[in-house]
Amino acid sequence: MDLHLTSEQTLLRDSAAKFVAAAGPKVARGFRDQEASFAPARLREAGELGWLGILVPDSTNGLGLGLTELALVLEQAGRGLVCEPIGLAAISAAALAQGRAPHPMLERVMAGAALVVPALQEGAHGDDPLLPRTQAVGEGASLRVTGKKLFVCADSAEGFLVSASGRDGPELCYVARNAPGCTLSATQTVDGRKLSTLTLADVPADLAPSRQSSRNAVDALHNLALLALSCELLGVMEKAQEITFDYLRIRKQFGKLIGSFQALQHKAVDIYTRTEATRSLVYQIAANNDPYRIDPVLAVAVKAKASEDALIVTQACIQLHGAIGFTDEHDIGLYLKRAMLLSSLLGNAAAQRRRYVAIAELTA
Amino acid sequence: MFRRDTPAETEFRMNVRTWLEANLPAALRGRTTRPPPAELMPWYHTLSRKGWIAPHWPKQYGGMGATLNEQIIMTEELARVGAPHLPVQGLNHIGPILMEFGNDAQKVQHLPPIIAGSVIWCQGYSEPGAGSDLASLSTRATLQGDHFVVKGHKIWTTWAHHSDWMFALVRTDPQAQPRHAGISFLLIDMHSPGIKVRPIKTIAGDDEFAECFFDDVIVPAGNLIGKLNDGWRIANALLGHERIGTSNPQFALIALERIKTMARASGIMADSAFQDRLAAASINVTAMAALFSHAVELTNQERSPGPESSIIKIFGSELLQSLNELLIEAAGGHASTEHPIATEFGEVEVATPYLQVRRATIYGGSSEIQRNVVARRVLNLPN
Repeated sequence: MDLHLTSEQTLLRDSAAKFVAAAGPKVARGFRDQEASFAPARLREAGELGWLGILVPDSTNGLGLGLTELALVLEQAGRGLVCEPIGLAAISAAALAQGRAPHPMLERVMAGAALVVPALQEGAHGDDPLLPRTQAVGEGASLRVTGKKLFVCADSAEGFLVSASGRDGPELCYVARNAPGCTLSATQTVDGRKLSTLTLADVPADLAPSRQSSRNAVDALHNLALLALSCELLGVMEKAQEITFDYLRIRKQFGKLIGSFQALQHKAVDIYTRTEATRSLVYQIAANNDPYRIDPVLAVAVKAKASEDALIVTQACIQLHGAIGFTDEHDIGLYLKRAMLLSSLLGNAAAQRRRYVAIAELTA
Repeated sequence: MFRRDTPAETEFRMNVRTWLEANLPAALRGRTTRPPPAELMPWYHTLSRKGWIAPHWPKQYGGMGATLNEQIIMTEELARVGAPHLPVQGLNHIGPILMEFGNDAQKVQHLPPIIAGSVIWCQGYSEPGAGSDLASLSTRATLQGDHFVVKGHKIWTTWAHHSDWMFALVRTDPQAQPRHAGISFLLIDMHSPGIKVRPIKTIAGDDEFAECFFDDVIVPAGNLIGKLNDGWRIANALLGHERIGTSNPQFALIALERIKTMARASGIMADSAFQDRLAAASINVTAMAALFSHAVELTNQERSPGPESSIIKIFGSELLQSLNELLIEAAGGHASTEHPIATEFGEVEVATPYLQVRRATIYGGSSEIQRNVVARRVLNLPN
């Protein structure tokens, strides 16, 4: 179903689509097994377009827009298999802009000149984000962080937003990459990019700014990250199914277009229904929540749904292509791989459901 | 969950809630099968006297002239208080069709009794040989002077055995190609000589529907709606709107609450495998609510979603079924009990709602037919 957008929102979507037209499978392939997993110039371009400050208030030179606008941009990024971490940078900028005085990194992050990414995950199954094992001790200038963060998109990052348990509960800390005691070890992802383990040994840090009135900064950033990942997953599944439906309209077997076969038509409708449900969910949440205070039940719900559906949809897309879909040469596999990456980050569908059980109180 | 009432809508909702709480008899609340007319129609008449029987009808025809949002609020509040399902063939089907396609005499004759609840309507579409393939229907209506002679057999006709009138699709041109070009839309007085009605018991134990035999039934030519052989278009004209209306997530939310009550009573709520499935179901209810508000938003912008609304029917009906599958799982050994199960949290109906909802993916175009429609008309897949 069409989205109900204002003319400004339509313009934003169109300009994101234009940006993405220069990306796509071919460009994504180019970064495989390379030293750099994205083009810094393209990140700066996104910064110039204002997208990295999309959630940042205009009083601090951001665009001051909402989640719908963020979703429109990230959905396009997902469609184009964009490698630049636009979503991670944009939500980090939102975090750095909280509080009375924004963090000194904010300007450069918004410009795309420096990359700051969240480092929130500690376990393979996305454990309780509000009870990090990473510890923060001391305060002010003597704040120090010790712990280990997994699956961090650390490539080219200058700093991290790290969740840590402090004296009064979870705290969001800014850690510079070149701070003493901060080490990274990278592994290759299935789609040829990199995820890192971030080890922090008594590393100096400073508290990310927070508003007293706002929800806990860790919770707020975590929920925002869940939605941002879901928006990209949505774009991935949308584009994958479009490629697949096109194929069903041209491929012939038994003397007929295979898209005329009812078994394949019904499978096509099943994935279309999943994609549409995820799309409505993403945009209804976006329209009804403030960026830095998303209802955690909804954030977890949308990440669970998008993670599950993106895998089901892209798997079906491979199947509907047949043997050609199993080749590295064909692009459709790239969408499955991107779905694998994004759906696993911050906890896969099953991990989200476990958390949903706790926060929606589906317990005895 | 997503749609928020304006202050005026909140006031409307509270008025409706208070009135329903005060006026809906306790015996009619939370029924999982539709009560028989003798029990149900007095409630219909109460709503009618209040002026609330037809929220979606314009005021000139005796309706409330309510906005779409107010209609949704009515649906939600009726569901919340556990109101029984009314006979809707008059209110939701033939009423709106008459408003759009009926002539003045037909409107004057038929619309007021629907509002008053003095007549009950049934829908004569399906036949033994024409279910999913409805266009192959063969009940014949032959025009002879000033009347039609109707001969044939309708089936799965909801409440036919309680009905005073039927709106029917009948074949008026047996040679027409395509076949749906030979179908007309006819109103039939169910008290006419030559009609025999036999109730059919469903797997849920009620006799919601019936089959009807027409043996040379005389129907005045003035009972034709629209033009001869234009019945297919008329029958399909209002379908999209109806799919949205029947997809209100309130029904799924009620099913979800029933599962939680049953699961807590049976002890399975502490089981992590069950919790995972319940979480998945609950997340899907949230997605359903999102699809619904999305469709409502578009309709409010007069950009009705059209054939895409089929996916709401597919998703919604299959979700209701999966919820009820989870319900019998929650009930465990109690699932096979026909009667409501007494628990520390009150009585819970299990078998009946589970059985009832099997029909959801069959009536109004089966899920398979809906998928065919979406594949062709939305995804533009080839024939």
